[in-house]
Amino acid sequence: MSERITIKQVPLEELVITPGSACQGCGAALAARLAFKALGPNTIRHSIPACPDNVTRTPTSGGEFEAGGDHVTGTWRALKALGREDVQVVGFYGDGGVYDIGFQSISGAAIRNENVFIICKNNEAYMNTGGQVSGATPQFAMTTTTPVGPMSRGKPHSRKNTPMIFAMHGVPYVATASVAFPTDLIAKVQYGKGIRGFKFLDILSPCPTGWRFDPSKTIEVARLAVQTGFWPLYEIIDGRKFRLNYKPRELKPVAEYLKLQGRFRHLSEQEIEEIQRSVTEYWERLLKLDEIGEILI
Amino acid sequence: MEHKSFEVMTGNKACAWGVKLSRVQVASIYPVTPQTTIGEYIAEFIANGELKCELVNAEGELATQAIVKAASRVGARTFVCTSGPGQLYMHHPMHGTSSGRLPVVMATVHRGNKGMQPDHTDLMSQLWTGWIQWYCENNQEVLDSVIMAYRTAEDKRVRLPIAIGYDGYILSYTSEPVEIPDQASVDEFLPPYEPIPNILPDKWAEAQRGRGAGMMEGFMSGGGDPQAAWRIHHEAILNSKEVIKEVNEEFGKRFGRKYGNGLVEEYRTDDAEAVVVAMGTIASTARVAIDRMRSEGKPVGLVKLKTFVPFPTEDFQELGKRVRAIGMIDRNVCLGLGGAGFGELRRALYDLDERPKVLGFYAGLAGAEVRVRDIEKMAEKTLKAARGEKVDPIVEWAKLGGGG
Ligand SMILES: Cc1ncc(C[n+]2csc(CCOP(=O)(O)OP(=O)(O)O)c2C)c(N)n1
Ligand code: SF4
Repeated sequence: MSERITIKQVPLEELVITPGSACQGCGAALAARLAFKALGPNTIRHSIPACPDNVTRTPTSGGEFEAGGDHVTGTWRALKALGREDVQVVGFYGDGGVYDIGFQSISGAAIRNENVFIICKNNEAYMNTGGQVSGATPQFAMTTTTPVGPMSRGKPHSRKNTPMIFAMHGVPYVATASVAFPTDLIAKVQYGKGIRGFKFLDILSPCPTGWRFDPSKTIEVARLAVQTGFWPLYEIIDGRKFRLNYKPRELKPVAEYLKLQGRFRHLSEQEIEEIQRSVTEYWERLLKLDEIGEILI
Repeated sequence: MEHKSFEVMTGNKACAWGVKLSRVQVASIYPVTPQTTIGEYIAEFIANGELKCELVNAEGELATQAIVKAASRVGARTFVCTSGPGQLYMHHPMHGTSSGRLPVVMATVHRGNKGMQPDHTDLMSQLWTGWIQWYCENNQEVLDSVIMAYRTAEDKRVRLPIAIGYDGYILSYTSEPVEIPDQASVDEFLPPYEPIPNILPDKWAEAQRGRGAGMMEGFMSGGGDPQAAWRIHHEAILNSKEVIKEVNEEFGKRFGRKYGNGLVEEYRTDDAEAVVVAMGTIASTARVAIDRMRSEGKPVGLVKLKTFVPFPTEDFQELGKRVRAIGMIDRNVCLGLGGAGFGELRRALYDLDERPKVLGFYAGLAGAEVRVRDIEKMAEKTLKAARGEKVDPIVEWAKLGGGG
């Protein structure tokens, strides 16, 4: 499991070149900045279409949106063939690229246990194309393709539990993170970097443009997602050993998180209750896993 | 003195031998008939310790192409193979490979897009992807072409991927004696591959940092000219002709076999009034037909078209000055437009002051058997046209076999 670090231990080196193409307050740009501090310069970054167009001081490769898992696989196998296993192979992809169109490719890389690190900057929709629904979009969220109207209440179904799905591939490391918890995030990247095999880190990265909140509130929104249990922070080793990384004595009401965001503005009290029920129920399940320290399946 | 060894083997085994002798470092495979056994042979070579290669059993053909593309960019010699539906599924990353100017070599074991039987519609469907395309006639040519393809693709004047097509079943699963070149000679013929640019972090030039060269290959453009990415890629393919010829010559000198001039091979075209043009295994059948007709005193010849992309325009223009009619046998149809070979041939000849007649024959689609007699009929018709007789229609679906 990752080891706690303090803010003083965060590497000073910046590998992300600014300014990039991000909007003000972009959570994904911050996710890149934090993750690449921990990854360091001996890294080949892979990218696929997504926003923001993060630019790093590392070589880049990648290409097709649907082939994120394959880009990193090819790079890793070539490094192996050439005797350059020291280089980190990282796929820094959006949730559309990970949860949906590239899911098959990343599942392939996971089950072959390729020595690669997939980092998902998860803004819960297809933001680069203007905020369409993705497999990561939470239920009831309004997106440009799940609008709200007399016949529609936003996204009709819940999001795909992608971190758990990758954990069930039995890969060495799966974790969730948030840009509001930078030391936790960096510790997880540092830990994953030291493991040989497939690593997956899903970083909740609030998007003021798509989620419709004030750009000054990115960290507040990201923090509340964790404090309400809407986005729990955990890590899983070998698809079995489980640990919750953030366990408040009491969760904050999910309404506090939802009310900051325009994408949830239409919610009725009843719908908020429904979300609260499902968040609480899932949180209790995670607490049990945390207690036994293992996923018993 | 080179040691010669022969083995009776299928086209797919010949292909795998080409991969082994070329010391491929990363290969990615996925099952689809009739190419599947290439991957099995490669896996066996690796399992037996005869080949050191990273073999990725991927989750689909789109994946296989994306994997070798990424591996080629890092600097590994790479191989991928497919057929029919797999070839179609690969379309998107094929653009990425060629736009990235990566010397991937791919075998396409033909399986048409309507059913399981062979025709060239699978690889022809990829004409717009910016790959060099070769078509092979027999198993020896398959093995030799794999080696020649790496030498050509990796040449710094070319840096383009090459697809090697050969007819499914007719070659893939049919055994013929094949000479296996010796490893030392292949090693001398094929120097190691060096990637440009080198993307290893310690070698990545300062100038390329950030928005990496080749990252969004398709969108790369030069000097403020938005069309440059297309123009440069197109010209690179056209300019590869000289290298293809050169590699074919050198292969001939070293191994005692070559394939025409690398682009086309003329057969008994001296004083021919009419020629037929054939690709792949139909060229073998056509040789027999031409021999028969020549023995009857008929002035006909054959052009085997090996390199379809880049199209050997100059060779056909030169031929066009010598013959009065050309019959193009297309084992493909671009639906609603016509035979790919027919269209290209007419495009190539249009600018001649005096053009030969160009006839078209669809033959061998969906695996339809093309016999010697069928080709004789096509050549007869072409000879008629050469002699000024009226032929109708100009383009026909050849009536194969049987009577008719
Ligand atoms: C094959 C293919 N389909 C669709 C697109 C269009 N496209 C480009 S970026 C994008 C959205 C990316 O969404 P996500 O992966 O969630 O990343 P985000 O932009 O939200 O960071 C889409 C749909 C594409 N480039 N390629
Ligand atoms: S749309 Fe959202 S994810 Fe994209 S750059 Fe803007 S804030 Fe970042």
